[in-house]
Amino acid sequence: MRLTVDEEEMLAGKRGRVYQKAMQILFQLGEIYGAEKMIPVSNVHMPGASVIVAGKAGTRLVEEMAKEGGIFAVSTTLNPAAGDFNTWQEIGFAREDMELQERLTGGYREMGAVPCHTCTPYLTGNIPRKGEHVAWGESSAIAFANSVLGARTNREGGPSALAAALVGRVPAYGYHLDENRRGQVLINVNTELNGPWDYGTLGYWAGNIVQERVPVFKGIPWSVSLEELKLLGAALASSGSVALFHVLGVTPEAPDLETVFGGSEPVQFLEYTEEAAVETVTRLNKHKGDRVDLVAVGCPHASIQEIGQVAEMLRGKRLADNTDMWILAALPVKTMADRMGYTKEIEAAGAQIVCDTCPVLGSTAAVVKKRGYRSLATNSAKLAHYSPGSWNLDTFYGSINRCVKAALSGRWS
Amino acid sequence: MRAIKARKVVGGTGRGEAMVSLEPICFLGGVDVNTGMITEKGHPLEGRSIKDKVLIFPIGKGSTGGSYLIYETVCNGMGPVAVINLKADPVTVTGCIISEVPMVVDPGENVFDLIKDGDMVEVDGDAGIIRLE
Repeated sequence: MRLTVDEEEMLAGKRGRVYQKAMQILFQLGEIYGAEKMIPVSNVHMPGASVIVAGKAGTRLVEEMAKEGGIFAVSTTLNPAAGDFNTWQEIGFAREDMELQERLTGGYREMGAVPCHTCTPYLTGNIPRKGEHVAWGESSAIAFANSVLGARTNREGGPSALAAALVGRVPAYGYHLDENRRGQVLINVNTELNGPWDYGTLGYWAGNIVQERVPVFKGIPWSVSLEELKLLGAALASSGSVALFHVLGVTPEAPDLETVFGGSEPVQFLEYTEEAAVETVTRLNKHKGDRVDLVAVGCPHASIQEIGQVAEMLRGKRLADNTDMWILAALPVKTMADRMGYTKEIEAAGAQIVCDTCPVLGSTAAVVKKRGYRSLATNSAKLAHYSPGSWNLDTFYGSINRCVKAALSGRWS
Repeated sequence: MRAIKARKVVGGTGRGEAMVSLEPICFLGGVDVNTGMITEKGHPLEGRSIKDKVLIFPIGKGSTGGSYLIYETVCNGMGPVAVINLKADPVTVTGCIISEVPMVVDPGENVFDLIKDGDMVEVDGDAGIIRLE
């Protein structure tokens, strides 16, 4: 790999130990993946921002780097934390996790990260444009940045994103290069999709088949919403490890078949049918009875429109006794919901907006134990994917309407 | 003394008893950070500690969280003094960099033939040389 004078100096330790380690990580990753050079990134979205992921060791490393004078070279946003900083006690997140979380968040903040603690940084101001090189973690956010925004990122893990934030560069390989961004599998969507939930189901079905290859969807209308694309990407990255997808005529790198496949033929053709959708929904529903203890919407974090939709459905009603409902969102989005009056309506019904965290990355096991949850209902294919294995919960997967109905009746119907 | 050339990954020198595994090692869930003990069920090194050893294995495996666990093991004083891999993988390489464990990869000769469990070995990560005594 060819390095610039500046990069060589960092690697040799002339800017201190923190930057030397960061450059070593990026240089060695570049060697492993056959990169020819480093490229500058304009921002970083940091995975490993929850102590459930980073643990004591990751926290110690971040604290140490901050203490030794590490400063992030580029704008950096943080992925969800282990719990909601304001309401963790009331909900039942573990005290020891939150104490460690304060240290981890503090270390990142000292180096310059914005502690927005969300998996949807694109809803809170981190919105890279087409062709912009960035270093993002969080599988659903990676899929959104690469696919919907047309920015360029590999699937960064905790240490590599930390290194990229410190030096503002990444080795040029993978999705940073044109040749790896072309479509590989053509998927014809041959059934009607009604709302975000249907897009999650499509993504879950497709991800399972294409795994890490790049799918191109044909037959999705130009009017597809941000929420629908958000759930599509999150599901693709749960059942598979898709980091980039294209939607013909919709996403920025897919104006037509010729362009998106780079003049080559697709390696595989798939047809998404009504039967495939039904089969996928059945696969994601893993429950014995019909009793629902917790309803969770907002995986990935809810947009203001999604919160408004839930507020409207809950208006003037009350949740069933012994059923809780979380709407997961980023703090700035909750602030908007406060101003819209949504938060009041949601709370009046007995539900709550939970910020800074999510079931997948939070200390959810502690909450499940403390509150005695045995089942979870969600409109997110990603959350439905993780729920049975992670917390041994009976899992219900359905549209947002069905989820709200379950919250009101305490039963899945 | 015999010297084997290898590609340098992390600088510094580590000397100790060799601990050789023909199987990959997974640090996430496969090594106890408080004792350095290999805990993966059925692993050839199960129940043995990597503390102060020159750890020799083909390649690492598992999720990126493994890098942090190498770091935690080393912070707890239970880590290896050096690592030799046939092939570099992101998890082990990153873990050794943040933990400052001398590491070399791609040795020029077959280390599994030349080095046996318990042999004294020195890894010079600055020069990219493995020395056998």
